[in-house]
Amino acid sequence: MKHRLFLVACMSLLSLLASSQLIASPEVAQPEVKIETKQALPSALTYLNNMKQAYRELNYKLLYLNTAQNQIEPKQLIHGVVDGKSIAYFYFLNGAMRESLQFDGKISFYQQGSQAYSLATNRDQSVFANIANFDFENGNKSYEYIILGRDRIAGKKAIAIRMISKDQYRYSYIVWLDLESYLPLRLDIINQLNQILEQTMVVSLNITETVNPWIQQLSVQATPDVLHLPLTAIAAVPKWHLEWLPPSFKIVKDDQHKLMMHDTDPVSYIMLNDGIVRVSVYISTKQTKLTEQKNTIRRGGTLIYTKQDENVEINVIGEIPLITAEKIAASIKPSK
Amino acid sequence: MKEYSQDLSSLMDNELGDKEVINTILDDAVLQKQFSRYQLIGDVLRDESNGLDLRMDITDSVMAAIANEKQDDYVAPLAAAPEPEKSNVVPFMKRFGQYAIAASVAGVVVVSSLMVNQGSSTDPSVAPVLNTVPFGGAAAPVSLQATPLQSENEIKERNERVEALLKDHQLQLQTQP
Repeated sequence: MKHRLFLVACMSLLSLLASSQLIASPEVAQPEVKIETKQALPSALTYLNNMKQAYRELNYKLLYLNTAQNQIEPKQLIHGVVDGKSIAYFYFLNGAMRESLQFDGKISFYQQGSQAYSLATNRDQSVFANIANFDFENGNKSYEYIILGRDRIAGKKAIAIRMISKDQYRYSYIVWLDLESYLPLRLDIINQLNQILEQTMVVSLNITETVNPWIQQLSVQATPDVLHLPLTAIAAVPKWHLEWLPPSFKIVKDDQHKLMMHDTDPVSYIMLNDGIVRVSVYISTKQTKLTEQKNTIRRGGTLIYTKQDENVEINVIGEIPLITAEKIAASIKPSK
Repeated sequence: MKEYSQDLSSLMDNELGDKEVINTILDDAVLQKQFSRYQLIGDVLRDESNGLDLRMDITDSVMAAIANEKQDDYVAPLAAAPEPEKSNVVPFMKRFGQYAIAASVAGVVVVSSLMVNQGSSTDPSVAPVLNTVPFGGAAAPVSLQATPLQSENEIKERNERVEALLKDHQLQLQTQP
């Protein structure tokens, strides 16, 4: 009996010791852990650069929703790498079949009821491409990158990073990345009032080791003929230039051409790009008179700003705030 | 069998109340045929046969034919079409309809909005809403709000103009160097 009591006492002592050790251990270990996480925790820039690489190099299939102005459009993107080259197959899940395939410097469009065709392009046109191909190092002149915290998107652990515009001439973004693959899972376009203008949200992400057999097969198939957009360097079209550009925007196109469907209507065209957003500026003779000299149409992040002066009409289209469009339009002057 | 003849005629006249008898008739193929014959006779007598009095019961033979049909004669519909066949899409069109190109690049459809009268009460500070999505977006209708002073025709022209610009914008984006 006494032996038994002794044993029990011993056991309880032991367990007490063990438990005290258990309680003590996190306190002891914590400083170490803290140092470790400090070293291991990547910066927002590292995450964004990881995303850039993942978006280009992985084989994946995304199902996602585009939301703007209460309209939701479900879409699919299959991306793969074939012979070291990116291939992206995109299609609309609802409504008429609309598909596109981008591979090897071409993007081909297929649509129910119309002729398929290709366009020459070296720029990734897929859903997150504008963000995922941004030069984040140089982009810090325009944006500040801040880690907002962890979240869960499409059943995956995600990290939210905010790209805050440093000026009022562009929108801000919040991008959510999958913490395992670093692929983008959600993108919100946000205005200065913190309102979400447009949202792209992945609902299903499937990453594979090998290229999806379907796009592998597509990569070897013939594509429709490449169309070249007719440039009309018409001498009669007056030339124009911009006296003001929003910070870090560059002119990437400057030409005269005819609008599709409007054969008799040549326009002067200037395209601006800041690495994410592309803005089209059209200068033409006035076609229809607006009751007001200025007109704004908006859809999600996209803005169409029209300004009419005497006989000239200026249209600015792009994912920019109104103030930027107004300033661009106001700075247009005829070239000599 | 004979004893049911009376019941059958009662049944025809809706005067048969005995459930058991009805069940017996329902179970007996011979009685059913007899019932059918009585009905036919009745129709002929009442001159309701419309000339086509040979109402032959072909149900049995049809059922038998179906039963004998081989199972593999049926082609089950595919639950879902496989991935779209694209190998045949190798078009060669000498003259490309510019219209078609622009339409599918932009995927934008302008629905001319006849909002002439609705525009009057709207707040002028609110930007009109454009319901369009660039390619990579849906072919959603564009609705352009207009001020009441504009005529329908002007709105239509304006919509067409906006549509043309949007499509060109999309096309330029796709081909940006």
